[in-house]
Amino acid sequence: MNIRATIRRGLLVGLVVLFIFVLGVTTLTGSIVQGWFKLDSGAAGAWLLLCGLALWNGATTVRRAACHSWKAALWNGLLAGAVPGLVVAAYTLATGALIAAGAPLREWLVQLTPEAIGLLTLGRPPLAAAGLLWAALAAAGLVGGLLGEWGARRHWGESIRRRGQAGRAAIVALPVVQKSVAFKYTRYILIGVGVVLLVIAPLFLGQYWTYTLGLVGIYVILGVGLNVVVGLAGLLDLGYVAFFAIGAYTVALLTAPTPHGIMMSFWLALPIGVALAATAGVLLGIPVLRMRGDYLAIVTLGFGEIIRILSTSDVLTTFTGGPRGVRNVGSPTLLGLDLSNYFYHLILLAIVLVVVLSTRLQNSRVGRAWMAMRDDEDVAQAMGIHVLKYKLLAFAIGASFAGLGGVLFASRNLFTGPDDHILLVSINVLCLVIVGGMGSIPGVVLGALVLKGLPEVLRELKDYRMLAFGTLLVVMMILRPEGLWPSKRRSLELRADDEAAAKPQPPTGAGP
Amino acid sequence: MADAKQVHPKRTLRLGKWVQPILGVVFAAFLLWRLYRILFVEHVYGPDTWVKFAISGLILGGVYAVIALGYTLVYGILFMINFAHGDVMMLGAYMGYFVLEGFKSANMLDWNWAGPLGAGIASALGASAEAATEAGAIASLVLAVLIAFVAGMGVSMLTAIGLERIAYRPLRRAPRLVPLISAIGASLFLENAAQLMFGATPRVYSNPTLIDRKAGWTLYVGGEWVSSPGVTAWQGKPVLLTYTGVITFVMSVVLMVVLYILVQRTRMGRAMRAVAEDKETAALMGIDIDRVIGNTFAISGLLAGAAGVLWGLHMGRLDPMIGFIPGLKAFTAAVLGGIGNVPGAMLGGLTLGILEAVGPGFLGMPFQLKDVLAFSTLVLVLIFRPRGILGEVLSEKKM
Repeated sequence: MNIRATIRRGLLVGLVVLFIFVLGVTTLTGSIVQGWFKLDSGAAGAWLLLCGLALWNGATTVRRAACHSWKAALWNGLLAGAVPGLVVAAYTLATGALIAAGAPLREWLVQLTPEAIGLLTLGRPPLAAAGLLWAALAAAGLVGGLLGEWGARRHWGESIRRRGQAGRAAIVALPVVQKSVAFKYTRYILIGVGVVLLVIAPLFLGQYWTYTLGLVGIYVILGVGLNVVVGLAGLLDLGYVAFFAIGAYTVALLTAPTPHGIMMSFWLALPIGVALAATAGVLLGIPVLRMRGDYLAIVTLGFGEIIRILSTSDVLTTFTGGPRGVRNVGSPTLLGLDLSNYFYHLILLAIVLVVVLSTRLQNSRVGRAWMAMRDDEDVAQAMGIHVLKYKLLAFAIGASFAGLGGVLFASRNLFTGPDDHILLVSINVLCLVIVGGMGSIPGVVLGALVLKGLPEVLRELKDYRMLAFGTLLVVMMILRPEGLWPSKRRSLELRADDEAAAKPQPPTGAGP
Repeated sequence: MADAKQVHPKRTLRLGKWVQPILGVVFAAFLLWRLYRILFVEHVYGPDTWVKFAISGLILGGVYAVIALGYTLVYGILFMINFAHGDVMMLGAYMGYFVLEGFKSANMLDWNWAGPLGAGIASALGASAEAATEAGAIASLVLAVLIAFVAGMGVSMLTAIGLERIAYRPLRRAPRLVPLISAIGASLFLENAAQLMFGATPRVYSNPTLIDRKAGWTLYVGGEWVSSPGVTAWQGKPVLLTYTGVITFVMSVVLMVVLYILVQRTRMGRAMRAVAEDKETAALMGIDIDRVIGNTFAISGLLAGAAGVLWGLHMGRLDPMIGFIPGLKAFTAAVLGGIGNVPGAMLGGLTLGILEAVGPGFLGMPFQLKDVLAFSTLVLVLIFRPRGILGEVLSEKKM
């Protein structure tokens, strides 16, 4: 046991809690809990969050310190709750007093509204509220500490892990599972069921959710494209949105009545958009693909910004509609039937096309060349792979998928404008590729569902979405760089790196 | 860092060996043609306007240079683009804003706090009451700005150290794209955290009245004979040289010199150069790598904080996204000067600043497109001269 370490850790947790306060997470939790349980106020949620944190800190502190005695666990747990509690109490006291004195806290830190402070003080005078909070947190820490010690004695962690393993083994051992694993068409049947479910989804989802699912689908297309560039070929492209914009603007300018009045058919504009995006990919790729990996990222970012600034500026207003964008983009028709009601199915079709294409590429000679290049460019070159050619191919394919996504996006929204093509799109797509698992197509689908679909389900989290994305990127890179649903090869590589890391070695770059 | 050997494979465009010279000649010819047009054909801007452009370019370039130093230091040691550096600067700018707001709400920003005491001293010294008031105002100004700088730099330093500890240190052995992605995540996090904490609405720095953003010396450049009835006099065209601009430029030069001395002449600087050259050998020589890298991030944070407060004092407008574009441009500046190279960052920053301010006028582009000019410079420099003007100073090992 180490009292000083416990206090230090408690102070750290206290700082994190302060950060949580100024970010407004307590208010957020409060309102979520309030919504779920139909409470009168969000105070319960905020208090639960704080007590939960103290509980967790108590438990982990005791587990870390390996106390081995009830007395030590008691004291450590108490401290682990009381130290952050003191910080919280001081905060409550200070803000409560300031609010009572009429200080305009809100003008400085926008989350510190009187209501937010009220969640902590519960309408009591600040001093009483602070004391109450301190007591509650200390108690929570104490309980956490005792729970931690109890868990350590009963070897909870290990038994849970063992039970999980046993459960998994039992499921695998079930005759049904055994048989279906042996039956070689199981995979196809599952995929078939999934596809059928997705096709009939609009029937039971309603318009809004179909629309949202369509958006997720467009991001799947973008993700599969970026996956080729980042995941397979190992080229970090931060200006991916530029190709998306090229696809979107092409279809918009060719089919919309306003800037040029070409009014081409959607089906003609679609291949033109895809081809233009691919051409742009090659044209950008020729000069930039010889660069070091990180320089490539910055150059593509710069390229994306150039496209965005050009499309917002007045210079191109006569050509692209400028900041106002292009309205009345044409929608697809088939034999006189307006397909805009079936856009969801069109997107599904595009996903199938893109996924099949990219899987076939991945498992071909080309795909193996990409992966070899990604892992060690020099060795790949020595093995006779024409590095630049394959990089260009990856760039072009990624760009054409992005172009396809852009065409569908613009046509579905009947509009495109500079606001659709901001850097955030690139970052979103990059996030979903990385979170899903670089180089893994099921991972991309999962990533798109989690990152684009989940925020639609949890609407309260809307303001916190980008914050969560940022955190997720950092956390994923540290804890699980291979992603949620990694490709087998990639996870083997990254795990092998971990084992090799014990030996001193120069951190050789994946980049050129 | 300046002693590092520079052995690189040539990283130039190899589309035949004539492409580059031909492009260069065409570009130079184009520039000469523009110069001719501007001097002899078009008279869109008078000399005063060009001086205005050059001044604002120098000031902007100074800020870019200070930010670029942070990039260059970190890249020199970790071979990593600290994508969140611009956002570290933004946090420093916010802290400076809060300090100045605090002074303002305590009525001390222009408060003659030396008042009674100052008047007493003044009368004892035989000076006038006005002089004492002015001295008091200057003293309060210096105090407020100084505290703003210290607080801004402190917050940025702590942020940078925290970033390194949380987001970069665990990834030191990972493939090179992994820390870059982590840095992008950190940048997103900082931007959005700032937006949640401080709100998305832009804020305006409240400068002390003495260094108001519109106050400054007036220079007279060019001009014409103006004849009013009776008298004919030479009337110059005024060009305003703001105090904040001068402060910004002077501060940036001072910071640069201090940093150069720090890197070249002190023990810590020597350790930093050793780590940049070869981490393993440096560790064998008894250098604590973690501490040196922490120090590097601390210094880069200090510089970013100073740049943030300077940005706020000079530009005035502040929102959670202000870090992104200057950060990108400062990275451009660092590459332009040669990454890993401290004087290079200064040169690159000033070059980029002047290019951005003078370039649109010179090339006859609309001013809306000045960012396009900056980013095109980035793309062109990375394609044609990725080692920068002064040459990059990196150890050959990680290339």
